[in-house]
Amino acid sequence: MFRPDKPLSIVHDITALQYALEKAERRPIVVVQEPRRADGSISDIPVVTNLTGSRTVVARALGINDHQTAAPIYAQRTGNCIAPEKISGESAPVQEIVLEGDNIDLTKLPALTQHVTDPGPYLTAAHATTYDPDTKTDNTAIQRCWIKSPTRMSYFPYPASHNARNLRKFWERGEDCPVVFWIGHHPAVLMGTQAKLTYPESHWGACGGLIGEPLRVTPSRTFGDSIMVPADAEIVIEGYAPKDVLEADGPFGEYTGYSGPQVAAPVVDVTCITMRKNALYHDYGSGLTDMLVPDNMAMEGKVFGLCKQVAPSVVNVHVPAQGRRFHGYIQVENPGPGEVRDALMAALSYRRLKLAIAVNQDIDIFDDSEMFFAMATRVQWSRDSFTVDGLSGSLLDPSTPVGSKTLSKMAIDASMPLPGRAGAPPPIPPRSKVPDEAMQRAAEILSGLDPNDWPTL
Amino acid sequence: MSNNKEIVRLGAPWEKTGNTSWTQCPACEEWFHVGPGLLDRPEVHMHCPACHKEFPQTDAKRLVTSG
Repeated sequence: MFRPDKPLSIVHDITALQYALEKAERRPIVVVQEPRRADGSISDIPVVTNLTGSRTVVARALGINDHQTAAPIYAQRTGNCIAPEKISGESAPVQEIVLEGDNIDLTKLPALTQHVTDPGPYLTAAHATTYDPDTKTDNTAIQRCWIKSPTRMSYFPYPASHNARNLRKFWERGEDCPVVFWIGHHPAVLMGTQAKLTYPESHWGACGGLIGEPLRVTPSRTFGDSIMVPADAEIVIEGYAPKDVLEADGPFGEYTGYSGPQVAAPVVDVTCITMRKNALYHDYGSGLTDMLVPDNMAMEGKVFGLCKQVAPSVVNVHVPAQGRRFHGYIQVENPGPGEVRDALMAALSYRRLKLAIAVNQDIDIFDDSEMFFAMATRVQWSRDSFTVDGLSGSLLDPSTPVGSKTLSKMAIDASMPLPGRAGAPPPIPPRSKVPDEAMQRAAEILSGLDPNDWPTL
Repeated sequence: MSNNKEIVRLGAPWEKTGNTSWTQCPACEEWFHVGPGLLDRPEVHMHCPACHKEFPQTDAKRLVTSG
């Protein structure tokens, strides 16, 4: 954990620190005890960011020692839902402080302005919870919020999202949409909200599955049991999205690494803010690994489950942060005829992936140099790659053609050819290697040296 | 829509084209990018991220759309 020993500005400086850490390949959790507002004053709410910048930290928060084994575990646990436990508001830490009426002031939150093109302070780790008015089933997703005044903010539910569907249903009924945003919780709970579910399906059960016990929830102050909030969250903002009111929102730095365009977005008129005493404010570094890691690890679980249904030989999946959320690596063990392409087709069917690459177990899917080795030596492009047009995808992809609602996707079979007969080696040459004992002796030689003195060229 | 809207023409199918539309603030002349969902709703005012002027699309100093 890194705690800067002096105040840091919430306008650009905290995010700049994250970028510097990422460039140095350091991924500590960052706690800014004295966030400095744009007017120079110091917020008494500390900022926590880079909480999920490290795959190792996220895996350990899930009780997993090795992040490389997380995909099947995530798939299994989020499939074994545990129903939430309701507790009273009096017992809920997140309602220790209740701000209503004239005491509501969003601008007192230390919300960061992250990037040059952002128009102002954004909540980046606000989990929006709405509900389907037909079934009363709630849904939760991270949605950015631009603080526009003490009592109003815009937010952007992606048009294909379940929260956007709930919003449209309320508006079609002629009603304002109730919505609650909650900020800050155990990383395992945050990962539960990333579970990719059907509609309508609550995320509380997946959160419980990941933490191994019921998630404690409590009725929101404004909406009661209609919208429950995590009782152990840090901060909650409640309000209504007034019917048919849209305002400009953005540009905003997105997970793609580009600034997303200004859009027409709903707004929220705030009815209540609750928080813990000594609350922490959680920020995601948008477009940094801090934001990519939790969603990518959740994607790995989802894609693993999709592939496994049609290709039992799939043993692992990796969605590397350097591919944003667009690349998926599929690892297979002893696949049957056609199974690799079955797995690739399943992977491409997942909305966000637009490139899927399959390799064998001898390739480390967490090492891009290994992936390039497989593609360089096991692929004949006309034979082993194929593209599929017209699949669903993220329209935030800057390469999306104008007016297109679907994407063109590609799959690469970089696996080894199947053995000529059962039990025989695969029909490719063995990889060059030196004996394990020699590698051990080499490691012992190097362990006693200080490489800092070596020439850099 | 006013006559200040410029459309970047698409080329042949094999030529790469961008997908980003740009507008210029009538007050501070800052350029910023806007999405198709906003351009489809002329009743929603644009908001300059630099000077925070809100203005109808027809008041944009320039509007260059892709496609």
